[in-house]
Amino acid sequence: MDVQKKSALRQGNIVIGVLAILTIVEFFIAIELDSVVLLFIVALIKAALVVQFFMHVYRLWREENH
Amino acid sequence: MSVYTKTHQGAQVHHEEDRGHELPYATQVKANRLGLWLFFISEFFLFGALLITRFYLWNEPGIGQTRPELSQELGLITTSILLLSSYFVYRGETAVTYGDQKAFTRSFMGAALLGLLFFVGVVVMEWNLFGISLELFGIEWFGHLKPSDGVYGGVFYMMTGMHALHVISGVGLLLVAWYRGRKGDYTPERHWGVEGIALYWHYVDVIWIFFYPALYLIGKPV
Repeated sequence: MDVQKKSALRQGNIVIGVLAILTIVEFFIAIELDSVVLLFIVALIKAALVVQFFMHVYRLWREENH
Repeated sequence: MSVYTKTHQGAQVHHEEDRGHELPYATQVKANRLGLWLFFISEFFLFGALLITRFYLWNEPGIGQTRPELSQELGLITTSILLLSSYFVYRGETAVTYGDQKAFTRSFMGAALLGLLFFVGVVVMEWNLFGISLELFGIEWFGHLKPSDGVYGGVFYMMTGMHALHVISGVGLLLVAWYRGRKGDYTPERHWGVEGIALYWHYVDVIWIFFYPALYLIGKPV
């Protein structure tokens, strides 16, 4: 149980780290490259990370307590 | 009920059918999740329409995409605060799943405070409710765009206003979960209330993930 909890928390740390990096990346894309397509791709990746790891979209097909 | 069922056989059958419709908790939670995701999809039409409005109205012939001159630093700070609040909610949900009530209430209170800070950052500072002008550490801390500033002001206030409304209602929900968590209403087996509110908060975050580049980063500042 403790191992599972630590693993879940570590996953959260990794996701927020990647989100922070991608936010900085999109900031610099806007300043240096001014590419709408790249900014949209980065936003899509960030949204996908939140939907998958924070919102647990896969639980939609599972039947479990909570 | 006993008299009623003795004299009306049909009514007795009806009551028994009602009990038969009570779902196991896990099945009910699965249905709740589906309902909430359908709500998110319906909300996406609203936010999607706002995004389309932005790209249509802020497109200048001969220039392409434009945007109003906004404080880049303030946008980045508020965005980081909202992302961090989502992380706190994730930690809170994980804590309640493993029976750590203290960590859960602490995380949800932290998320609510960060959400409130985001709300202040957008409504008080970016909208500049009190007409303040402050430049500190090279950062312009208060905005200057007004709702009456043509398509830029109109679209900006419509998008941030609709999002801020969701943020403040999310903060209220986080505080409800925090209060109920303090009373010990949630267990590792039964905490749909926490999961539902966490989902809503993350959804508000996802919307901002698209709004942030649309408002602050895409296009030439005018």
